[in-house]
Amino acid sequence: MLATEKLSVSYGSVRALTDVDLEISGDGLLHGIIGPNGAGKSTLLDAICGRRRPTSGRVRYCGEDITRRSISWRRRQGMARSFQRTSIFQDLTVREQLQLVAQHLGDEGLDDVIETMDLGGYLDQKAGRIAYGVQRRVDVALALIGRPRLLLMDEPGAGLSATETLRLFQHVRDLVRERRIAAVVVEHDVDAVFACCDMVTVLDLGRHLSTGAPEAIRADQRVISAYLGTAA
Amino acid sequence: MTDDLRASTTATFGSLSQRSLAIAVGLIGLCAGAIVPTYLASDFVLRLGSEGLLLGLLALSVAFLMNQAGLVALGAASIYGGAGYLFAIGMSDWGLSPTAALCVAFLILLVYAAMLGALIVRTNPLAFMMLTLAAGEMISHAVLLEGLRDYTGGADGLVVRVNGSVLGIDALRFADPVQFWCIAWIVTVLIGLAFWAIGRSRLGVVLRAIRGNEERMRFSGFNTFLPRLIGYVLVNVAAAIAGFLHVLNAGFVSPESLGLFVSTNTLVAALIGGISGSLGPILGGLIFSFAQDEFGARGLTQLLTGVAIVLFIVVFPRGVVGGLSSLSKRLGWRREGA
Repeated sequence: MLATEKLSVSYGSVRALTDVDLEISGDGLLHGIIGPNGAGKSTLLDAICGRRRPTSGRVRYCGEDITRRSISWRRRQGMARSFQRTSIFQDLTVREQLQLVAQHLGDEGLDDVIETMDLGGYLDQKAGRIAYGVQRRVDVALALIGRPRLLLMDEPGAGLSATETLRLFQHVRDLVRERRIAAVVVEHDVDAVFACCDMVTVLDLGRHLSTGAPEAIRADQRVISAYLGTAA
Repeated sequence: MTDDLRASTTATFGSLSQRSLAIAVGLIGLCAGAIVPTYLASDFVLRLGSEGLLLGLLALSVAFLMNQAGLVALGAASIYGGAGYLFAIGMSDWGLSPTAALCVAFLILLVYAAMLGALIVRTNPLAFMMLTLAAGEMISHAVLLEGLRDYTGGADGLVVRVNGSVLGIDALRFADPVQFWCIAWIVTVLIGLAFWAIGRSRLGVVLRAIRGNEERMRFSGFNTFLPRLIGYVLVNVAAAIAGFLHVLNAGFVSPESLGLFVSTNTLVAALIGGISGSLGPILGGLIFSFAQDEFGARGLTQLLTGVAIVLFIVVFPRGVVGGLSSLSKRLGWRREGA
């Protein structure tokens, strides 16, 4: 479904990503991306979703080269994104913002999204006034509208407790399996990633280090020495 | 089942009768506002009031963009004055009838607004403000160019003589203070209602959502450029209409009508009245117009205007209408969130 080919991104003279090759299957798999701070995880998501233009390399989505396509075009083709820092419409009620996006994307299954993200009790509240954990769920709900085929999530557990993070991951994993879509999750919480993801990619200093099943990654000596350490 | 049917019928007729009542009250208000002042006020007061309405119309255009899109335009005068110049040039230099000159001037302004808007609505709010200021200043200085003097009249401006009718209305009606008040009132109220409706339409919601979080809108599949461009062109339509009414009433157009002074007065009128609806900017225009006359009579226009602006903004940070709305909520006259 998604492939990056020799993807590189630079911020001025600093190379954030260097020649990253990645392949994501769309068959109900949850794909986690981990790595130490500054590994280029968020930059990789930014380059995939069009938020940051790659310095070189290509992004392919469903076989098409989409490297130069706009963010809104990618979204209409089913590539959705949630953010590390919650990105919602603070001045709109939860219902208003979900309906606005659902109408635009022609999604008649909004009730499913509301139920999945357990937002029924917050619909008439201004999004800026609800608890942060609920705001995170609104952020994910906005990404789920329109039945996306590829879900990109940047640190969905940021600001949540370990239990809430694990529950959110389980939600997403169930959704991905039920809808047979793909999700790429960047996350600091390595335990949640190993517990819920079907595949894991490790980045280090902007380079692709390893990709494989969680057990294989745990046992990978390069990953242990670069990131997981002896505690893994 | 029968009860359900009866309840739904009652609700339907209830909402219909409420709507009919609102329309009837609105029409009575529209007619009363057009006619009653003409019996109560002198020609001088009606002139001031008409000027206030036109300033209110301009303020409405600026306030709509501020409130809905979070963009402050400092170039309202270039459209306002430009409408007058193009109308005058259309009749005197291009030999067009008044109606044809008005239509051609309107089209030119529409194209100008769309082209300028396409360049500037993508920028951040500060850059947008500076670019509207720069574009307005370019135009206000262009009319003073010696090479264009034959068309624009240079610093003297142009006298606009309208023979016959404009859009089926006898041009003499625009010069008569009583009849012009009626025309200005009806046009201002209708445009105010149109902007109120647009604010509640899907376009309004989309504009406010873009203002709130443009990136999330793009990540929700929205084109964020087009709604902003449409909003920008719409507010310029209101400014152009104010400009046409001004030139038809005054019978002349001068470089002052294009100047930064008009744009800043417009912004002040919007802030005085309040930017969050249609009533505030129009009321702000009226207050500003009468206050300027009062201050001018004392020979201290600039000084007293400055003091009044500071006082108004300190006492009513959300404008007069916003302040009164908050007060009525506090006193329990209005529901919270109404």
